[in-house]
Amino acid sequence: MSTTKLFLRGVADMRRFPLPQLCTLLTVCMVALLAGTGLLILHNVQSEVLRTQGQARFQIYWKVGADLTAVEAQWTDLKRAPGIAEVSTFTPRAALSELMRGLAPKNSGGGLAASNGANGTSGASVGEDFAWLEGENPLPATALVSFNIPPDEQPEPWMGRMYARLKGLEGVEQVTYNPTQLTLATGWIALVQKAAWPALGFFALVVGLVVGNTLKLMMLARRDEVEILSLVGARPWFIRAPLFANGVVQGLCGSVLSLFCLKFLQTWLRSVLDVPPLFLKVEFLPLWQSVALVLCTTCVAGLASLIAARK
Amino acid sequence: MQRAKSSPGAAPFQSAINWRKQTKRMVHLEHVNCILGGAQALKDVTLHVERGEFVFLTGPSGAGKTTLLRVLYGDLKPKSGAADVAGVDLMRLRGAQLPELRRKVAVVFQDFKVLPERTVFENIAIALEVRGVSSVSIDKRVRAVIRALDLEERSYARCGELSGGEQQRVAIARSMVVNPELILADEPTGNLDSDLSRHLIELFKQFNTYGTTIIMATHNREVLSWAPEARQVHLVRGVITEAPPSAAGWVLDTKPIIGGRA
Repeated sequence: MSTTKLFLRGVADMRRFPLPQLCTLLTVCMVALLAGTGLLILHNVQSEVLRTQGQARFQIYWKVGADLTAVEAQWTDLKRAPGIAEVSTFTPRAALSELMRGLAPKNSGGGLAASNGANGTSGASVGEDFAWLEGENPLPATALVSFNIPPDEQPEPWMGRMYARLKGLEGVEQVTYNPTQLTLATGWIALVQKAAWPALGFFALVVGLVVGNTLKLMMLARRDEVEILSLVGARPWFIRAPLFANGVVQGLCGSVLSLFCLKFLQTWLRSVLDVPPLFLKVEFLPLWQSVALVLCTTCVAGLASLIAARK
Repeated sequence: MQRAKSSPGAAPFQSAINWRKQTKRMVHLEHVNCILGGAQALKDVTLHVERGEFVFLTGPSGAGKTTLLRVLYGDLKPKSGAADVAGVDLMRLRGAQLPELRRKVAVVFQDFKVLPERTVFENIAIALEVRGVSSVSIDKRVRAVIRALDLEERSYARCGELSGGEQQRVAIARSMVVNPELILADEPTGNLDSDLSRHLIELFKQFNTYGTTIIMATHNREVLSWAPEARQVHLVRGVITEAPPSAAGWVLDTKPIIGGRA
């Protein structure tokens, strides 16, 4: 009998033991769901970290009185630069307006407003106080530029090169950035990368043990069949192939089912956590992780069934 | 070596031996010792069985009959001695070689060992399927043996729905369909009533006539009387004794009897 026929027989034989099969399927599903939940948390935390801290940010200050037309041309070039994530630009006038708005009290109860009020001025008049600077604005043109660090680059050397490049732009007086922020982000990514493999290995081990033991229990229901097959001279593969097929199908169905459960969980968490002050948008696993979860569970279940079918 | 004398009515068995004469013995055990559960289950057992012989393995419960049969079909490895069955050296038998032995040696048990959720046809066909026989040939051979064992009407009934006698006939059909060199039967009539038991012994005798070597364990004296031509080998506490015992030395079969349709 060909291997394909043995596999098909293994799948067809699953209906002979519905209760043990159902219990095994639920077990595989729950273990895969547990692993999927872990992946979901990891994925969302990493996405959040990358979104908020995983970018390299530079604050660029041009010289006071620099030619604004030339500066704006540089801004246009910057916006087209590869890997750019976000560019916020401020002309001296816009910077002054921002400054005035930042200094203005939000209400009369504010500290600055209160102190100004004691001197006979109002909050609104503070902004007006800076109006006389319009002609002799001391603020330079600035730009806050965020880059996505290329994945094949080491962050620190890349930032050093980018710093030198930005500093070399015509009319630029100063470039600042916060390496601590980047260190935190890269540290987290490194941690995730280092933890991912051991976590996946642990998951595979747990799936293997649980599925293997469950399949072994299921085989108690089929021990007579295995014994009879052995008595009539069946070779090991003839006995194991249908059980292997059974394990593979259990792994495949259980992991796909777990993905549906995970989607349900993610949809529920999305509405629960996307409220003040969290505003966390829980996203579903990317396609490759979903496929990896199914493949990993299926392979481990198949392997576990082979091991469990050993005499 | 201990051999009982054949009775005058042994002609059919003798002719079977001639028809299938081989230079090598079917079973060759020399000073075999076997430990089971810390106790010595077989002690210095020497037994030779020629091809085409019909041998009864007799003795009271716990004498070591089943242990001896387990050794013969490779389920137990002897601790010492020399053991050869159907040309397979049991002392050097490895796991990968076990299927080869099991394809030459068929086993029939008291508790039938059929798959209750499968049909009669499937239960018999399984022995051919593991050998890679084509489905056309399987169909032909299974139908022939089903007809020979008068199971035609029950071909597609689940074995769980059959009577004890029918299930035992299925087990025998499964062992016979592959045309084995040796059939080991461990108390095959133990769960059957007298009529069914006699019918089954007739079946074994018939297969033996065709040249199949049969070793049947039993502690039922009535069964022995149905095949007086067969050689008797007696086991007591793991030792083969010189001569068949007197009636006083026997423990009669007192197990519950299952009725059958046959």
